[in-house]
Amino acid sequence: MDSARQRALARICGQRLLQAAIVSLLVAALCFLLVQQLPGDMAFRIAAGRYGYDYVDAAAADAVRQELGLARPSWQQFAGWLGQLAQLQLGQSLVTGGAVLAEIAHHLGATVQLAAASVALALGVGLPLGLASGLAPGGWADRLTLGYSVLLRALPPFLLGLMLMLGLSVQLGWAPAAGHGEGGNLLLPALTLGLGLSGLTARIVRDSVLAVVQADYYRFARSKGLAPWRVFLRHGLRNIGVTVVAYAGVQLILLIEGVVVVESLFAWPGVGHALVHAIFWRDVPMIQGCTLLLAWLFVLMNTATDLLCLAIDPRGPAES
Amino acid sequence: MTPLTSRAWPQRLGYLLLAAVLLFALAGPLLWPDYAGQQLMRFLETPSLAEPLGRDQLGRSVIARLASAARLSLWLAGLCVLSAALLGCLLGVLSAWRGGWTDTVLRGLADGVLALPGLLIVLIFSAMAQGGFLTLYIGLALAQWVEYFRMTRARSRLLLASPHVEASRLLGFGPAHIVRRHLWPELAPMLLTMMSFGLATAILALSTLGFVGVGIQPPTPELGLMMTEALPHYSEAPQLLLAPVAVLALTLAALVLLRPLEVNS
Amino acid sequence: MSTIHLHGLAVYQQQRCLLNPLDLDLHPGEALTVLGESGSGKSLLAHAIIGTLPAGLRAEGELRTDGRRYPLHDAANRRHLWGELLAILPQEPVTALDPTMRVLPQVAEGWRGDGHLARDAARRRLDRLGLQAAEHHYPHQLSGGMAQRVAFAAATLGGARLLLADEPSKGLDSAACDTLRRLLQQHLDSGQCLLTITHDIALARALGGQVLVMQGGEVVEHGPASRILSQPHHPYTLALLAAEPQAWPAIAHPAAGDWLLQGRGLAKAYGSQQLFRDVDIDLAAGERVALLAASGAGKSTLGNMLLGLTAPDHGSVRYRDGLSRTAWQRLYQDPVQAFAPHVPLHTALHDVLKRCGQPWSALEALLHRLKLGPALLQRLPSQVSGGELQRLALIRTLLLRPALLFADEPTSRLDPVTQRDTVHCLLDELARIGCALLLVTHDAALADKATVHRIRL
Repeated sequence: MDSARQRALARICGQRLLQAAIVSLLVAALCFLLVQQLPGDMAFRIAAGRYGYDYVDAAAADAVRQELGLARPSWQQFAGWLGQLAQLQLGQSLVTGGAVLAEIAHHLGATVQLAAASVALALGVGLPLGLASGLAPGGWADRLTLGYSVLLRALPPFLLGLMLMLGLSVQLGWAPAAGHGEGGNLLLPALTLGLGLSGLTARIVRDSVLAVVQADYYRFARSKGLAPWRVFLRHGLRNIGVTVVAYAGVQLILLIEGVVVVESLFAWPGVGHALVHAIFWRDVPMIQGCTLLLAWLFVLMNTATDLLCLAIDPRGPAES
Repeated sequence: MTPLTSRAWPQRLGYLLLAAVLLFALAGPLLWPDYAGQQLMRFLETPSLAEPLGRDQLGRSVIARLASAARLSLWLAGLCVLSAALLGCLLGVLSAWRGGWTDTVLRGLADGVLALPGLLIVLIFSAMAQGGFLTLYIGLALAQWVEYFRMTRARSRLLLASPHVEASRLLGFGPAHIVRRHLWPELAPMLLTMMSFGLATAILALSTLGFVGVGIQPPTPELGLMMTEALPHYSEAPQLLLAPVAVLALTLAALVLLRPLEVNS
Repeated sequence: MSTIHLHGLAVYQQQRCLLNPLDLDLHPGEALTVLGESGSGKSLLAHAIIGTLPAGLRAEGELRTDGRRYPLHDAANRRHLWGELLAILPQEPVTALDPTMRVLPQVAEGWRGDGHLARDAARRRLDRLGLQAAEHHYPHQLSGGMAQRVAFAAATLGGARLLLADEPSKGLDSAACDTLRRLLQQHLDSGQCLLTITHDIALARALGGQVLVMQGGEVVEHGPASRILSQPHHPYTLALLAAEPQAWPAIAHPAAGDWLLQGRGLAKAYGSQQLFRDVDIDLAAGERVALLAASGAGKSTLGNMLLGLTAPDHGSVRYRDGLSRTAWQRLYQDPVQAFAPHVPLHTALHDVLKRCGQPWSALEALLHRLKLGPALLQRLPSQVSGGELQRLALIRTLLLRPALLFADEPTSRLDPVTQRDTVHCLLDELARIGCALLLVTHDAALADKATVHRIRL
């Protein structure tokens, strides 16, 4: 029994570590490809990024080239990176010259703040809606949830954010549209991301509730003479939790993708915003750092859901 | 069981919407072919009969640009989804059929790609693309093939171990028969559902890239890009922003409605 | 303890009557068993009593006990009787247990009253069923037989006076059937009422008491088990009893010919569990052999080994030369799973004909002999009844003229009448082409009648 749990624990950690390793290699390889095929003069673009296009000349570009060692063959740059990556040194930003690790660490707090607020909001909206519709399938709450989730599917994060921005900020003047620093600024990005996630959350909760309520063991418990609320507490909650947690992986993808989009839209200074910025400037070390961080974050959260699953389901997570 | 009537109308609406978007994307560029011509004197011109959506900040025909953008989104996304489905399916069946190290390697690769949310892959490729179509296409297809691979592999493994496939093998049938009669009929409906989902994802990813400014580059008309460009002029000419928003939302709604809405009932 | 009366119990779908009005008296300590063919409305009876009919169906009549009356059309009025007066023995014990809860609390929660006493009562009940070691287990750690006993304990701990068992022996092997019989008998001995719905005549005979025979939503015979099961009057009851393998007339078996295959020293293990070892098996052309064992003993695995589908851990199988690869065929327990689910039968059989180069008329002749209409072929496998589909599966293998047919419980899911017809068909057709039969079954009587040799694992 306990040894089986330990084996499951070891299996989860091993699989996820391997996944993290593969994804790191994958990102490094993609970034290598990116460097290889980038056309034009990178030094010129970086200089322009620093000083503005109007103030760049060949001398400024040469200075940048010298400073960053861009004249080396690209495979050498990549080999250097890979070595650094193994020691968790992510290099320096080609644009600002600052250490990538320090820059990302600076952005991470904002991203976590946004993600946490959004997940809380998504659960706050999605759980009650899903429960109400799962317990009375076909009822008005179910129809409402269905309509709500379809509407949100057709309204991707950046459209939803755009509409909220135009509605709450421009038309009504309730919230500032972009920027970071004041407490009120979190409202729009978190609302955008949280509402976007809540549609799928509600559907997943709804389907899990329905599956559990229709399960043999649930009916059998009812037939033992237990009151409906006791059956729900004793046999419903935990089993619903098992399915909802099992679906968390899908939600996490939406969360990470949403973070990138919403941060860029509202200029929220998180990792996603930094990533899009880096892509715009082809700042490869920064691209690699941000992507790696988001991927590791994703793997880490998936590991957490696996462990949660192991904790609440005695059978442990299904073999992938 | 949901009654057929309550299932059917959203799907009918979905087909109707999709047909409308397709018609606009195919016929629009023929009716309003000039999406590039600038007439700076006529910037932000209000809608008229000849120009139902007016002109943009550079005096270009909004409806022509919109139709061209819709067509671009649809064909690029369609191509990505077809390629991803083909690649994913082939590898999935191969993995299930061969097992052993083929399966191990492919699964490891898929697990790695899976740890990278699709949009991140597309973003990296967009950095390579410099606004070009081909690299974006490769990025989108590479981000999506894993889903088809996983589904096909999981279903095929179950099917290949099932009594009916065993019976067919005992009856002397070869791989072609097993794929045609046992695997394909089971996989096809799921693939169709996934492809409608994938199409929406791809269209969305394209417009997201355009919107944040790292996708297809101006002056090519693209839905997300059009929105970003229209944002500063929202108070004078709201239709500039609302038109691409409407086209995108309707396309996504059509694709959402096409799928069976009840996941399990 | 007083008697439970059901008066004028009937089930309607709008105006259509699915179950004709009937009266039942359930006396403490006496079993009442409802026998009947599938689709005769037996299961509706149980749902009508408990109040769990599917939407669109309506019950009539009333339940009377202790001077109280409960009109059956109102499903909700009996809900507070659940666990107290009415209890249900789940059909599939494995899925009836909550996968995330340990055994003891699941059993204890059926007790009405104090939680501490409930645990003690549950523990005593589990001890009596020989499950003391399992009380802290989760359902996925139980064997099928253990799960069955746990479900029984959970259903009956509340002391409900009437236990409803709907097809309790479906899919059980003979050992599990014996356990079930003992459990139900215990329940009766403690002075409770029992209503069993089944098509298992052996179970009805073992329980004794009253028997009620149903056909097409109507009661055709009613009386004490001892009389009905020995001197039936109604033709349907007669047919039902005659269809039991024990009652079959002896079957003439063809003489065995040359050797066909030889298995020597066969062994197979899954993980740490040894299924069987040192098994020697010889089969001759046209021979009929039964393979008998409890479930989980590896009967199907041994059969697959002989067909070359599974490799043995030790030992080897030798085949007679000159036989084609398709001379070794198999029939499955569930014929629906033996056909590609989305391919119409017409296409499936056409493929086989093309594969073995036989004309359409060969198929037509077989269909005719096995009393199957050609119109059946337009349907999908899931749209054909189990008995018909099993015969189509037989036809499919016959087209290839096999030397050995491995039949893995081919009739265990069929009702007795269909089972008899299917087995006779099978034996006739195999005799016609001189094909050997290896029959896996857990029914000793069936093995006695259908085969000459028996192998026990």
